[in-house]
Amino acid sequence: MRELELYFGPQHLGMVGNFSITLKVEGDRIIEAAANPGYLHRGFEKLMELRTWIQNFPLVCRINVVEPDPMEMIYAMAVEKLANLEVPERAHYIRSIYLELSRVSSHLFGLWAYSNMLGFDTVAQWAMYHRDLVLDLFEELTGGRVYHIYIWPGGVRRDFPDGFKDRIVNTLHTIGGCVPDYDAAFFNNRLFYERSKGIGQISQEDAKRLGGVGQVLRATGVKHDIRKAESYAAYNSIDWDIHTREDGDAYSRIWVIRNEMIESVHMIFKLLDAMPEGDAYKKVQNPFKWKIPKGEAYVKIESSRGELGLYMVSNGGDKPYRVNFRTPSYTHGLTILEKMLRNASIADVGNIMISLYVVAPEIDR
Amino acid sequence: MISALKNDLESIFKDIQISAPEDDRLIINAQKDAVLTILKFFKDKGYDHLAMISCTDWIEEDEFELIYIVGSYSVYAPAAEDITSDKSGVSKEAAFNGGNILLKTRISRKDPRFITAIPVFENSEPYEREIHELFGVDFKGHPRLTPLFLEREYKIPPFRKDFDTRRYVKDFFDQIPFVENKEK
Amino acid sequence: MDRNDIKKWFKSPDKMGDKYSLWAIYFCTGCGIIEIPPVITARWDAERFGVIPVATPRQSNLFLITGYVSVKTLRAIIRTYEQMPEPKYTVGFGSCPINGGMYWDSYNTIKHLDKYIPIDGWIAGCMPRPEAIFVAVTHLWTLIDQGKAKAYVKYREKYGLYRKNQEMALGKLDWPPLYTTGGGND
Ligand code: SF4
Repeated sequence: MRELELYFGPQHLGMVGNFSITLKVEGDRIIEAAANPGYLHRGFEKLMELRTWIQNFPLVCRINVVEPDPMEMIYAMAVEKLANLEVPERAHYIRSIYLELSRVSSHLFGLWAYSNMLGFDTVAQWAMYHRDLVLDLFEELTGGRVYHIYIWPGGVRRDFPDGFKDRIVNTLHTIGGCVPDYDAAFFNNRLFYERSKGIGQISQEDAKRLGGVGQVLRATGVKHDIRKAESYAAYNSIDWDIHTREDGDAYSRIWVIRNEMIESVHMIFKLLDAMPEGDAYKKVQNPFKWKIPKGEAYVKIESSRGELGLYMVSNGGDKPYRVNFRTPSYTHGLTILEKMLRNASIADVGNIMISLYVVAPEIDR
Repeated sequence: MISALKNDLESIFKDIQISAPEDDRLIINAQKDAVLTILKFFKDKGYDHLAMISCTDWIEEDEFELIYIVGSYSVYAPAAEDITSDKSGVSKEAAFNGGNILLKTRISRKDPRFITAIPVFENSEPYEREIHELFGVDFKGHPRLTPLFLEREYKIPPFRKDFDTRRYVKDFFDQIPFVENKEK
Repeated sequence: MDRNDIKKWFKSPDKMGDKYSLWAIYFCTGCGIIEIPPVITARWDAERFGVIPVATPRQSNLFLITGYVSVKTLRAIIRTYEQMPEPKYTVGFGSCPINGGMYWDSYNTIKHLDKYIPIDGWIAGCMPRPEAIFVAVTHLWTLIDQGKAKAYVKYREKYGLYRKNQEMALGKLDWPPLYTTGGGND
């Protein structure tokens, strides 16, 4: 049979995000795939060198559109580390709650994309609606639906408003109450099993070798989560579990995501109970005049896609000297995707890609 | 564990400076040719996760600095268990297990060349490709140093410090006329 | 739709058809795309306004350019736009396509999208809320009614100028010109 070259994306229904893949196919079997990112490259890291420390907050959250909050968090953490800022105890709790909310919203978005792609339109509608409920919480707390810029060096921008705790609990109960529905309609549905079992399978060794993190790794049975291994914010002060699966295929990945989402909801309840009183931020000196001492920092957190790292260098000025993000989608979308697509069939490209949870702007930056 | 690792390193490799600014970070400055062996050494020690490769342009010293950040998958699990089961008694060793190693090396800016780390860590492929594109560093032995992100060609690779993006925007994008204006 | 509209239907059925079936091409150009899934699902339900996402440019007549446009995306946008059948409407979503937005000094994003393809309307904001999309859609209806949403006609007439700008940004384009009209100097 003849070999053909096929361009998949960026304008394609099976593609979430502005990303494209060049496939070399024979019949409908893929012989070789080459990821072709760069449609969203804005040169963030260069732009950040030209802006002051505080001006960079609106920029960083645009790196990952689906969940901007871990981006703010990691940048704030790096600044705190370089400038030696203390964060009050309550702010740690607020940050964790906020990050877990963002994880829930991001997983619901992922669920929308995945179920929509598999043809479960009803579930997709539910997921998107529930995500919107979480966005309403964000909107009340920060004023923005998608981008929040809430985490700040030295704490968070403002404390929870009155009665906000109850509204979080309310919303999460609404979402949690639908878990049986989700299970019946989607997760325990035989169609879901058959459409995703064995798709995009990767072994534990390969996942490690190719730099997999997050669900991709946990779906192969590795208990690896930065929230435990290098705990930050208030994750250490409550009890929670890492969820894993053994098979390493799309089915396991989506199940890991489901379990994680439920775990996140439980975590939020626990964090809300344990939250101490006190200040939500520490007064810092006028941010427009910040000069941060010379030094370098590498910080990492667990975003909803896996390990998110930030390497930052300061040369003592009012702007960062060099910033470099290590985003989870980077290895997933480039090395692992290429590996999984080899010998897959064309019909599975979207399935594999979305189950890997790739967010294109995170790759391109 | 950190001190043991440090001693090990110092006894095996000459010519390297090691510092441990925090309990869970180890910063190593190494010579160019030692990098791959040190990476290999860490991989054998269980640091099997290359988190990223980064590059910094130190224009005043006329050098590029390559930073390899290495972490670990395998030693996480026991450490994580320790932390949950016995919160108060987390030992320094257990906490360090999740640490990171920053291995740094400098290469000349005039003739930026280095060797690829793919034989040790396979996932260094896209990182090196990116550094090649954005900084113009050549990695010997890399199978495809083709453009990754950029569509246009830039005279100076855009992430170098002497590439002035504001100037570039003025010179390039602002020169393109509006269709309305051109009619008149 | 109320009764009076029926008369309008008879007067110009094509216009009404255009208006109430704005089918948006599914193309995630930039970060604005994150507001599209909520808009097309149950909560905001863009179908009330006749807006649904469709898979291919051949079926669509509305191009929502959701966010910043990098040089590489511009090529895809032009290709997609040229494949859409007429009448077609373009709406720039967010401040980035308008003037570069917060990436005004980025070396890889297009600053003024209307230099390369014609735009019928803009939605300002970073990121605009879902309501803003609906306001834009109703606004577009008015424009269509008044016969002012004629960007595609402009594209046809001034194709030479647009093509020249596109080539300035992207280098030689590897597809033949869509129209022969509107050469550079007429
Ligand atoms: S206007 Fe704002 S939200 Fe829209 S693409 Fe630009 S940066 Fe993103």
